[in-house]
Amino acid sequence: MSLAMATENDNLRIVQVWHGGKFKKKLSEMGIYKDSQIKVIKNDIPGPLIVDVKGSRLIIGRGQAQKIMVDFS
Amino acid sequence: MDKIRIALAGNPNVGKSTLFNRWTGMRQHVGNWPGKTVEKKEGTFQYNQQEIEVVDLPGNYSLTAYSMEELVSRDYIVGEKPDVIVNVIDAANIERNLYLTVQMMELGANLVLALNMNKFAREKGLKINKKQLSQLLGVPVIEIEAVDETGSEELLKTILKISKSPNIVLGRLEYGNEVSEHVKQIENIINQDLTGADNKSMFDAPSSWIALKLLEDDPEIIKKVEESGKGQRVLKSVKKIQRHFNNVFGDDADAAITDARYGFIAGLVSESVKKPKIDKVTRSDLIDRIVTHKYLGIPIFLLIMWLTFQITFTVGDPLGGYIEEAFVWLGETVSASLGEGFLTSFIVDGIIGGVGGVLVFVPIIFILFLVLSLLEDSGYLARAAFVMDRFMHKLVGLHGKSFIPMILGFGCAVPGIMATRTLENERDRFLTMLIVPFMSCSARLPVYALLAAAFFSAYQGWVIFSLYVLGIVVAIVMAAIFKKTIFKGMSAPFVMELPPYRIPTAKGAIIHMWERGVLFLKKAGTLILALSVVIWALSSLPVGVEYASQESITGQIGTVLSPVFAPLGFGEWQATVAIIYGFVAKEVVVSTFGILYGVGEDGSGGTADEAATEESSGEISSKPASGEVSVESSDETASAESVEEVAPEEDPGFIAAIQEVFTPLSAYAYMVFILLYIPCLATLATIRRETNSWKWPAFAAGYTFVVAYVVSFAVYRGGLVLGF
Repeated sequence: MSLAMATENDNLRIVQVWHGGKFKKKLSEMGIYKDSQIKVIKNDIPGPLIVDVKGSRLIIGRGQAQKIMVDFS
Repeated sequence: MDKIRIALAGNPNVGKSTLFNRWTGMRQHVGNWPGKTVEKKEGTFQYNQQEIEVVDLPGNYSLTAYSMEELVSRDYIVGEKPDVIVNVIDAANIERNLYLTVQMMELGANLVLALNMNKFAREKGLKINKKQLSQLLGVPVIEIEAVDETGSEELLKTILKISKSPNIVLGRLEYGNEVSEHVKQIENIINQDLTGADNKSMFDAPSSWIALKLLEDDPEIIKKVEESGKGQRVLKSVKKIQRHFNNVFGDDADAAITDARYGFIAGLVSESVKKPKIDKVTRSDLIDRIVTHKYLGIPIFLLIMWLTFQITFTVGDPLGGYIEEAFVWLGETVSASLGEGFLTSFIVDGIIGGVGGVLVFVPIIFILFLVLSLLEDSGYLARAAFVMDRFMHKLVGLHGKSFIPMILGFGCAVPGIMATRTLENERDRFLTMLIVPFMSCSARLPVYALLAAAFFSAYQGWVIFSLYVLGIVVAIVMAAIFKKTIFKGMSAPFVMELPPYRIPTAKGAIIHMWERGVLFLKKAGTLILALSVVIWALSSLPVGVEYASQESITGQIGTVLSPVFAPLGFGEWQATVAIIYGFVAKEVVVSTFGILYGVGEDGSGGTADEAATEESSGEISSKPASGEVSVESSDETASAESVEEVAPEEDPGFIAAIQEVFTPLSAYAYMVFILLYIPCLATLATIRRETNSWKWPAFAAGYTFVVAYVVSFAVYRGGLVLGF
């Protein structure tokens, strides 16, 4: 499922990042890349999400989150 | 002893600047990296009789070629080869922070890790074994708290030590067989083809790093290799290996390298950091539950913005007023001692008027930046961006971070534009800068008050409110248009770090404030002063003419240009001149009216500003520009203060004068024009400074004029058709 649909507080693993090179790289710098662990802290529709990766919190736009696929870890 | 050159590097928000400020205090200099819009901070300090030069590199998560900040840091490390790089690390976020560390190690940098924010890490339940970490990385690891002296002594000692005996860390990185082998292959070819006879790499950086960059498709490095003319073999091999990765692993070499880095880091961390079994809930989390709450978030944000606004202008306005009074006093004193004359006018109206005009802004700018940096350093601003993103995105196509500059624009566009610095994406920054001027700034308020009172007395409030709303509407429309045309398809994907809340340091906030304020003064100030003198000159020539009369050059220009505005309903030379003067500063429009429509020789025109200032609270005091001060200097007999002060809108003579010239409809069209047309000089100067080019302020001036003309035209003509 996409990150945008994930429930708060579930422990998830990233399976695919459907973004173009530059942004994909930016995401990976911040800890979001294939196989890394991620957890959703806030997912109020509409609006951006707050996630927790590698010990830090990030804000991600909903559109961006829709292109990140996750699964339960 | 020789100077040591060091650099501070690390993720954003880890406390680099705090450390930098503590070390350099006032001995720092802020500018831009040559040719870029990235801030460059450098300074010097002494330790143990050793002079140390330190550069605070921009906060980076990585060293790719994809952002100005990263390129600047990377070029600095490779080009300047600092003796030591102090890598400040957020202890609560080690894994991601180390991603930058390993990249600097790939560059062969001489590192020392400064582990900061250990208190917060402990609150989270993390236990870090710094000795182990240090051993595994091969670099010294010092625990510090940037906000106080903890660990400072040890850190400085270590810096001196390793500046003399650098660590060799290249060999420490273990990226797994796949990646390492291929990197070695490329490295060999590089050493054969691209290294000079003296065995020095063409690029001043380790060949292994170049190999990694090529495999990562780094545009800058690829270009350099191509340009060298000897890179064909290397590039071919790189392509081959990249295909290999895709075939065997189904993923880019790029992704494999990222994986390898994180893999190495994960291994390190598992051996040196103990994490708690369950994530502890921190104080930050609890505050956030409220602040980013689905329904409470926005009201809280609006409250904080209102407070910011209030503080800035409540404290800043009166201070600005004192400054203005001081200049008026100065002007009078000079004219009293020098008597009437050209020279006096030049000094009083031109120089004192011009300089005073700039300095009136100072308290507001400084206080605003103080408040803003407190908000930023505390971490709140990131939450604000989150909360407002929803609306910004839908309405304007911009992100939450753009909201703050726009709110500030309601007070004054100058701090609003300076606040766009928090927007990392250049296109979002420029787009925001272009629409901030439509937020009706407080300098325009006197004009509205004057005309609204004269023509719409019962409905004043509504009329003025409608103008504010119109400004916002035009801003939204223009933003939408820009997004589809000149900024097409360049919206930044929104991902941003949410740092934990921290208590900002007074010193840090004050230094922030000082830096920005001084910069404003220097750049914007010289420009405004110069142009004010020019306008003064045009109003005083030809020699002997009455200051700012129709016979002066300004008056003549006004007369010549006034037909341009006739279709909008206000084609008199005085209205045109007011528009021209309003270019320097919007408040001047009112004082110009006062002079030109002849509010009498006794100088009550000069008091128009002071009275108008009392009328509307929270606005910037009018600047003592050409119109106002001239009355006092050319009139030896009465000084403005000794005459009973009557506000123009209360002076029946004045009101009668304007009523002969405007109709309610044309007055409204005029106000619309003032609302939308060219941003004042200070604003344009600020845009120039923030974009490092003349193109943008010119564009801003041009397009706002067009928008103002079109909308004003539509209002006037439409109104006529509707029978107003």
